This record gives sequence, C-alpha cells and structure tokens, in this order.
Amino acid sequence: MSRTLEASEIHKYFGGVKAVQGVSLTLETGRIMGLIGPNGSGKSTLLNVLAGIEKPTKGTVTVDGRRVDGWPAHRMVGLGVAKTHQIPKPFLAMTCRENVAVAMMYGSRREGEPASALEESLRILATVGLERRADAPASNLTVQERKRLEFARVLATGAGLVLLDEIFAGLSPDELRDTIALFARVQKEQGFGALVVEHVMRAVMTLSDHVVVIEEGRKIAEGSPKEVVENPAVIEAYLGSEATNVTP
Amino acid sequence: MKIPKLPAIGPTLWGIGVFLLVLGGLAPWIPRFTLTILVNLLIFAALAYSLNFITGLTGYVNFGHVVFMAVGAYTLGYTVGTIRLHPLGGVALGGLVALVLALGLGAVTLRFRGVYFAIASLVTPLAGLNIVLVLPALGGGQGIFLNIGFDPLSWFYTIWAIIAAEVGLTYWITHGRLGYGIRAIKSDEDAAKSLGVNAPRLKLFLFALSGLFAGATGGVYAWTTSGIIPEAAFDLTFSLRMLAMIVIGGMGTLLGPLIGAIAVYLPSRFFLTIFIGTESIIIGLVVILIALFVPGGIVGTLRKYVPELRRILE
Amino acid sequence: MPALEVLVTDLAFGLLLGCVFAVIAHGLNLIWGVAKIVNVAHGVFIMLGAYGAYFLNLYLGINPLLSAPVDAAIGLAVGVGFYFGFLHRELRGKESIAQQSEMVTLVATFGLALFISNLALRLWTGNFVGIPWSPGSIFVGFLQLPLGALYVAIASVAIIALTHIFLSRTYLGNAIRAYSQDIPATQLMGINPTFVAAVGTALGFSVTMAGGALLSVWLPVGINPGMGALYAPISFVIVVLGGPGKMWGSLVGGISLAVIIDVGQAFVGTSLATAIAFLTLIPILLFRPEGILR
Repeated sequence: MSRTLEASEIHKYFGGVKAVQGVSLTLETGRIMGLIGPNGSGKSTLLNVLAGIEKPTKGTVTVDGRRVDGWPAHRMVGLGVAKTHQIPKPFLAMTCRENVAVAMMYGSRREGEPASALEESLRILATVGLERRADAPASNLTVQERKRLEFARVLATGAGLVLLDEIFAGLSPDELRDTIALFARVQKEQGFGALVVEHVMRAVMTLSDHVVVIEEGRKIAEGSPKEVVENPAVIEAYLGSEATNVTP
Repeated sequence: MKIPKLPAIGPTLWGIGVFLLVLGGLAPWIPRFTLTILVNLLIFAALAYSLNFITGLTGYVNFGHVVFMAVGAYTLGYTVGTIRLHPLGGVALGGLVALVLALGLGAVTLRFRGVYFAIASLVTPLAGLNIVLVLPALGGGQGIFLNIGFDPLSWFYTIWAIIAAEVGLTYWITHGRLGYGIRAIKSDEDAAKSLGVNAPRLKLFLFALSGLFAGATGGVYAWTTSGIIPEAAFDLTFSLRMLAMIVIGGMGTLLGPLIGAIAVYLPSRFFLTIFIGTESIIIGLVVILIALFVPGGIVGTLRKYVPELRRILE
Repeated sequence: MPALEVLVTDLAFGLLLGCVFAVIAHGLNLIWGVAKIVNVAHGVFIMLGAYGAYFLNLYLGINPLLSAPVDAAIGLAVGVGFYFGFLHRELRGKESIAQQSEMVTLVATFGLALFISNLALRLWTGNFVGIPWSPGSIFVGFLQLPLGALYVAIASVAIIALTHIFLSRTYLGNAIRAYSQDIPATQLMGINPTFVAAVGTALGFSVTMAGGALLSVWLPVGINPGMGALYAPISFVIVVLGGPGKMWGSLVGGISLAVIIDVGQAFVGTSLATAIAFLTLIPILLFRPEGILR
C-alpha cells in the first residue's frame, strides 16, 4: 500500500521537559529516512508520537491527508504505521510463529484465522532468517534473534511505514553487515517506507535516502547522507566522535 | 459483522458437552434434594466461568466480581417482588443490568494498570453494599424476600443453559483470533497494542461477558434462596471462592472452572457440618499454596507434567 | 443543613480519626513503596494489631497506647516472616515485579487474608469485642474531645514522623529508599538487597500492627476477625489518595478520607458517605494517579 505520513511542527513536552520542539518531516512508502542525533535529543519520543504511543503536545500528524495525531497505537497500525521497540518485547510465552501470527491477525491486513496466519508466519520468519526457530518459545531467543522477531512482527502487520527504534544496535561487525543487507533486501522486495532511528552511523548512511538530524528536540540539519555528514552543525552536535566512523 | 466459522470441537469440549447433556437428560429423575446440591454446584461453576473470562484470560484480578452477582440477585429480587416478573425474566434482566454495569465500570477501571484495577475492584463491593443499604426500594438493610416456591428442576435447567453458553463462548474465544489477542495482552499489553490489538476494546468485551454471566447467575442464586440480603449479596467470601476455583482449576482454561468448582464446593458440603469458617481457612491456605507453587492449577499442572494429556486437556 | 457545631465536631473527629487512619495505611505505603508489593492481606494485620491490644489489655491490663510498641515489635517479626514467606521468591534480584508475579502476589495475599481472618474467627469467635479504656475528655470551646482519641492521634503522627526520620536520616533508612528506587544500584553500593527489603517490609508490618493497636481505641465495640475487610480497602484508598511511596501522603490521605466520611455523614448518612469516600478512588486513579500531593 502507498502511504504518506506528514508530521508538522510536532512538540512534545513532559511537564517541564521539552523533548521535541517543532519538528516536521514527511515519510513515504518506498523511501528510507534516517533519524540521528545525540543521546537525549528526542528521537525516541518523536517515534512514539508518530506511532501513536504518545500524543503530541502541539502539532499535527496526518496520514494521506487524514489527521491522526492523538490516535492510539493500535489504530495507527490499522493505517499501516507500526513501530519496533528499542528493547525487544516479544510475547515470551508464545512461539515465534505465534508472535508473528498475532501481528498478522491484528495488523493492517487482518489476516483472518489462526490457522492461516500461522502458516503465513512461517514465510515471514523465513524472510528474516528465523524459520528454524519458528516453534521455539520466544523466551528462548537470543537478543539478536529477538530483534529479528521484532522486525518480523512489524512486517507481518503489513505496515506501509515502518518506524524502527535502534534496530542495529549492539551488533558485531559481521552481524551488522548481514543485518544491513537483510534489511535492504527486504525493503526492496516489500517496498515499505521506513524511519530509522539509529546511533550506528554505518547503517544509517548505507540505507537512508534522506537523513534528518535532531538535537535537543529540534531539527538542525537534513539532506542526503553525504550532505548531513559534512554539515558543520551536525559535526559539532556529535563532537566529531561518531561522525568520523562513517564509511562513505 | 461477519460471523467467523466455528472452530472444530476439541476433546475437552466434547467431554464437557457430553457431561452436560447426560446431566441434563437425567435431571428429571434425580431426587430433589440431590438436585438442589447439584444446582448449587453449578452455580459455583457458572460463577467460576464468569470470572474466568476476565481474570483467567487477561490476568486482571477482579476481587469485586461479587458485585455483578449482587446486581443480578437484586434485579431478580426487585422485578419478581415488585412487578411479579417470572423468575426467568429476572435472571435474564439480572444479566443485562450487570452487563451494563460492567460496561460502565470497565470503561473506567480497565484503563488502570493491573494492580490499581485490583484495588479498585476491592473497593467496589463495599461501595456497592453501602449504596444498597440506603435504597429502600431494594429493601435497605433487610433485603428482599420473595415467595416463589421450590423448583429445583427449573433452577437446574436455567443454570445449565448459562453454563453451556459460558463453556461454548470460552471455547470460541480461546480458539479463535481473539485467543491470540488475549494471550498477547496478558503477556505484554503495550507490545500487543503496538501490533494492532485493540486492547481496551478486547478487555471491555471480556469484562462485559464476565458481568453478564455473573449477573444471570446471581439471579439464579436469588431464585434458589427466594430472596437476597445485602450481606450475602456483597459477601467477599464469594469473590474468594470464585478466585479459588479458577486458581485451583487452572486460570484461563476450559475445564479449570468446572474442576475448580467441584474441588471447592464438594469439600465445603463436608465442612458445613463441622464449622463454616473452617472451609475458608482451608481454601485460603490452598489458594496461597497453589498461587505460589502451582500457578497452573490442576489443568495447567496436568498439561505440564503429562505430555499425552496436552492434546486433549485444556 | 446541619448545625455549625455539629459540622465542626465532625471535622474535629475526622481529623483525629484521620490520623489513625493514616498510620494504619502508612504501613501499606511503606511496603508498597519498598517491596512494590500490594498486600491484599493488609487488613488482617491491622486486625491482629487490634486483637493484640485487646489481649494485652485483657490479661495484662496494658492500655492500647502502651500496647502499640509491643505490637510494633511483634509486627517486625511478622514482617520478616512475611518477607521470606512470600516476597523473597518473587523479588530475588529482580528489578521489578513482572505482571505475572503481580497477579500471583495479589491472589496469594488474598488467600492469606481469608486464611488468617477465618483462623481468627475460629480461635476468637465472631463476637465483637472492645477495650474498656476511657481516660476522659477535654473541652476546647464547645468541642468535647475524648482524650483517648487525642492521644492515639498524636501517637499516630509521631509514628509517621519517626519513620520519616528513620528513612531520611539513618544509613539503613536511606538504603531502603535507595532500594525502592533502584535495586541494581543498591547492590552496586554494597548493600544487601535482601536484607534491605526484609527490613523495609518488617518496618511496614511493624507500623501496621502498632496502628491496629491505636485504632482499637476508636472501636470500643468494634474489634472482630472480619474487620480487615473494611480497613484494607480504607488503607488502599488512603495510599492512592496520598500517593504511593509518599511518606506524608498517608497523613494527607488518611485525614481527607476520615473528614469526607465524618463530615459527609452529617449530610447524607454514614452509608452513603462511606460509599462516596471509597469511590473517590476512581477519579483519583483516572486523573491523578500519583496522589493529591505534588
């Protein structure tokens, strides 16, 4: 499905803390946007607002022209906007297959009954390389496998716009390379749009069509990965440490 | 709304179905005294199934479940007493009124986290009791007395129908799509919502069901006791018994509430001759032990340690 | 509209009763704050405290005020027992209670509540008893205030203040507060979390039972095995009103609740006032779950 999400002048305050101050961005299916910024800059909060987990204090969010700010998370999923969790939250007592089946049955595709959903789940698990763990309880999975399960679930919801919260974090160089390749391939096959919040620069730079940089709740730069990386304001925000790790 | 196709009938459902059919067929020949005991057992079971919808399936502990029963009992008491409605009407109306109350209460309290929901549920019977005490239409502190006679066969078939409906619904819910949504909510409500599960609506649906059936059963209870008094209606011991039944039987299972009802009710018939308080002492102790050490209850434990049973017992 | 004297008297009584309400809820507040456990059986320990005072009076002639410290000591032991019996399994090293464990604890403590209260019923019968202790009254203007009520109110506030001092000024107290906020950090500082949690729980039970002794003064004919079923919900509402984990919240919540009931009953009768008082729980949970205090 083709979707466009427009966030306009989003503000989110928690009491006195101004987590997000006037950020606007546009997401479209087929395009990958990277969202980077120092710790505490408001990236996760912004994701939560877009996903429907938080209501914006000010500003609007529209999907295909329809206002959805304030819509709860499950309704956003119905529209095809779904988010992964920074620390994976699998349904521990259920198998991988069942985890994905939940997403299939309740996501935007509303894939009917358990029997067919469980069948389809195997296919999706195969896409992320978890087919051998299909009938293992989620509690048995390693952290990396749980991250893949998170991703599989979000895919299973049939989301046209996927919000990924630090999905590449904590991976070894080999795992990182494989995961980036996996993500790129799946995205090409399925054609969803994504907002990728990341600290791992390599992933962001390799995958993004467009990058937005946030600091202290405000957008300080945006553009192609190359432009952003050479932007002095960005370099200053990061004090040069992470920006120098980028492989062009 | 399209009706999803009915899932195939599993062994446990067959077993319960046959049990109920046999019981129903034999009923007219069972001596009236035994029948009364059977009716009381079925009332316990019906209450257990009703609590199972909310506490068993979602893990939201409802200490105040007795409130729905009380509402049903009072509805029957009032309608039969004042406008001479047939008791069956009272039962149906009791269920309906309790359903409405559940929708109202649930819309508010289900938003709370589990712990606060439990606390709010602890408080509602007391509030309810105090409200009923000042309503003269409901008999105030005296309660309502009816004079509708002794009719165990009618009681039996009414409660029989209620249980059949509950068992059927429990099966349908746990085996279909809803079952997955519910397990997801029980496991991690936020994660479930992030995958599109409309948790508030699902929880409210289950809560409403629990209220409906507890209310109808409360009506049957008032029918069997020919009236209702406030202390009996809002007695927290009922809540304990219902909780004990599903904890002992196995929370969220199909067979659990029935087994739990038998396990709790039959011994209590014994202890009636010894001393009323003793029953509760033992039930309390058993609940503690099971909750801490055997959380799956009878059904859960059997399934865990006897793999052959896993396919047929649920 | 009731007469002014009646209202003021109700208000005064509400304040005095509220202090005692506060101390019986305070124990729950402590346990909730430290162990993050909601003890549904809280009411039975209040009941046990009241019975403790009753028996101490019956056999040793000690008045409830002096029984409170004795009950407090018993409470410490009970608390330790409760901790190792119930909580230790759940809390061992974990950072917070999982939802499943939460449910288990709720159900288990509910079972405990009915086990103990029915055991008490068996042992002591359901007869309502009371402690004959009337040190007289004092007159403040037109108000006639029973001295017993005044003494226990003061004692209650003193107990709350003492726990506050303990928690904020002593090493162990601060360790308990640290534990309630961040278990791993507590461990990193060389503090044994089990010891701290046990002490915190023991303190909570100690205050609860002492509170039961003090409450008995207000129940000249009201002590009975089932009283927990009334005072547990009261305690919960108070803790929620004042804010779980907020030390002075118990006092604020306790006084608010008692005043609502006492003043309210002049307008709408006891039953309705009590119902209303309980139902305030719901709007608070909806709109201000941290409690009234900022």
